[in-house]
Amino acid sequence: MAKLTLPAQELMFSGHSACPGCGAALAMRLLLKGLGPRTVVSVPACCWTVIATPYPTTALGVAMMDNPIEATGASISGIRAALDAMGEKDVTVVGFAGDGGTADIGIQALSGMLERRTNALYVMYDNEAYMNTGVQRSGETPLGAWTTTTPVEGHEHGKIEAKKDMMAIVLAHHPVYAATLNPSFPEDFERKVEKAKAMSGPRFFDIFAPCSTGWRFDAQKTIAIGRLATDTGVFPLYEVENGRYHVTRKVGSLKPVEEYLHAQGRFRHLTPANIAAVGAQVRDGWEKLLTFESESLVAPTPSAAPTAPPATRA
Amino acid sequence: MIEIRFHGRGGQGAVLASEMLSQAAFIDGKVPQSFPFFGVERRGAPVTAFFRVDDHLIQIRTSITQPDIVVVLDPGLLKVIPVADGLRPGGLMLVNSRRPPAEIEAPPGARRATVDASRIALAHGLGSKTMPVVNTVILGALARASGVVSLEAISAAIEKYAPAKPAQNRDAAIEGYGAVRTIDPTTSPVPPVPKVPHPLPPLPEGPIASRPTTSIHTSSWRTLTPVIHLAHCTKCNFCWKFCPDDAIGFDDQGFPVIKLDYCKGCGICAEECPPKTIEMISED
Ligand SMILES: Cc1ncc(C[n+]2csc(CCOP(=O)(O)OP(=O)(O)O)c2C)c(N)n1
Ligand code: SF4
Ligand code: SF4
Ligand SMILES: [Mg+2]
Repeated sequence: MAKLTLPAQELMFSGHSACPGCGAALAMRLLLKGLGPRTVVSVPACCWTVIATPYPTTALGVAMMDNPIEATGASISGIRAALDAMGEKDVTVVGFAGDGGTADIGIQALSGMLERRTNALYVMYDNEAYMNTGVQRSGETPLGAWTTTTPVEGHEHGKIEAKKDMMAIVLAHHPVYAATLNPSFPEDFERKVEKAKAMSGPRFFDIFAPCSTGWRFDAQKTIAIGRLATDTGVFPLYEVENGRYHVTRKVGSLKPVEEYLHAQGRFRHLTPANIAAVGAQVRDGWEKLLTFESESLVAPTPSAAPTAPPATRA
Repeated sequence: MIEIRFHGRGGQGAVLASEMLSQAAFIDGKVPQSFPFFGVERRGAPVTAFFRVDDHLIQIRTSITQPDIVVVLDPGLLKVIPVADGLRPGGLMLVNSRRPPAEIEAPPGARRATVDASRIALAHGLGSKTMPVVNTVILGALARASGVVSLEAISAAIEKYAPAKPAQNRDAAIEGYGAVRTIDPTTSPVPPVPKVPHPLPPLPEGPIASRPTTSIHTSSWRTLTPVIHLAHCTKCNFCWKFCPDDAIGFDDQGFPVIKLDYCKGCGICAEECPPKTIEMISED
């Protein structure tokens, strides 16, 4: 057998109830490969609660707790406190929530968990809408995208607001580590998982999770669309370690954003002017990111590090 | 009263078919009822919808266990779901299939009908090859094979309520009306379908689920099946890396093997295979 470039262990089981080709399912599979069996996962209401729990079975080979959609951050602070009280030091505590449950409904609990410096990893799997309830727009739905609540009919042309920058919001809390991950780049994904696992303190992942059902593409294209997202600059891969930025996939010249948009039914209605607006926004974000990287290489910017390094606690 | 049970897959429009049929029955001046079975409506997963129609108000609200008509939107479901369960004697089974109705297994005494709805839907630009949207073709075929609604009513209902491409959907239904083939039970008796019991799993004690989902076979979600032509396989493991269902393992020589009990047929492995040596094949 050719050498495996990813850990062989499978802690997400077959037989789960994600749609065929689900990016969020692959995200969980890759995440648990790297984290291993000494892991507790807290999942709020989202596609993943349905994926994992056709009663009375579980799709996870690790302990999983189901929690209310607004409470993921609070729940992992509590789980960590309980494990600490029990003397279990080697367990990785993970919150695994959707974009709606993170960027909108659960943002206060996430902020609280980061501010308390909970020793846990918070994962937002980003399928850019409320998918489990049938594709409603969230704060993470990108500009121009069709959802059932940002329709394309009459004078309405999809979402008119831009995507919320969750990485920036999280970084304002000075986590020890925050990174963007994309299952289309599994080796980069796994390296970040292993890195985060070895650290302690508040950590955050923004995982890109293409959803053929809500984004309107054929299921076999999940990986290809993920790859395009990164190579067009729509979803750059980077990590921020104690304030220092590092772009982990250097894209010499970005592919035209059309290649990404035209591959999905949710952007089908966009006019050339709309596409140009998206393209300008994407290039702007990419250039800012490169600037952050070169500046933080010299020294962490004052805003990127808290004045006193905080002690890690539950 | 006539009771119809629809069996389809998430994405094929079984629930919508039952709703549009209701609208058509209204147009015909009848009293219809339509509702889906509440379950996992993931793309490809088996879904069920119910339809009743009568000349006066229908009081009953339960799901349909003894249908007069069973409509099967995907031929692959015949092998995995006991679709004919409870079909009344002399009832009708209408299946989307390329095959002639005589080749469809049905309970003794049942009338059988087939229509190649996938081909017709694609010809009218409805859905994709992996998931043709066959619901309106099936409704046309149903109008002809059952007489439950008129072609005029079903065409009008589709034009008004199809969520997209109303004209194409209407034309597809009219073509389905013309293309359906039926067979009478008296001309050739067919072997009865053995009843498949669906056992309910025993409930565990307390709110803790400890049994893995591997006890659930998701093969019934699949419309296309990956076949790996090993002669060109370079053992790069790309298929294994990207499968969201962990449905690829390895044989003792290190070649990838599809776990057919779990593969949902998404086609990612075929798409990502660098030497393109995985082919997606239709099982019908
Ligand atoms: C307080 C509250 N509001 C609404 C819901 C209904 N609900 C269940 S899952 C879900 C969608 C969550 O979307 P997201 O977090 O993006 O996850 P996804 O389903 O997209 O994976 C919603 C709105 C709920 N469970 N609790
Ligand atoms: S709706 Fe989207 S995110 Fe949810 S299970 Fe289906 S593919 Fe996955
Ligand atoms: S088609 Fe391939 S990638 Fe998709 S579930 Fe089946 S084995 Fe996995
Ligand atoms: Mg979501």
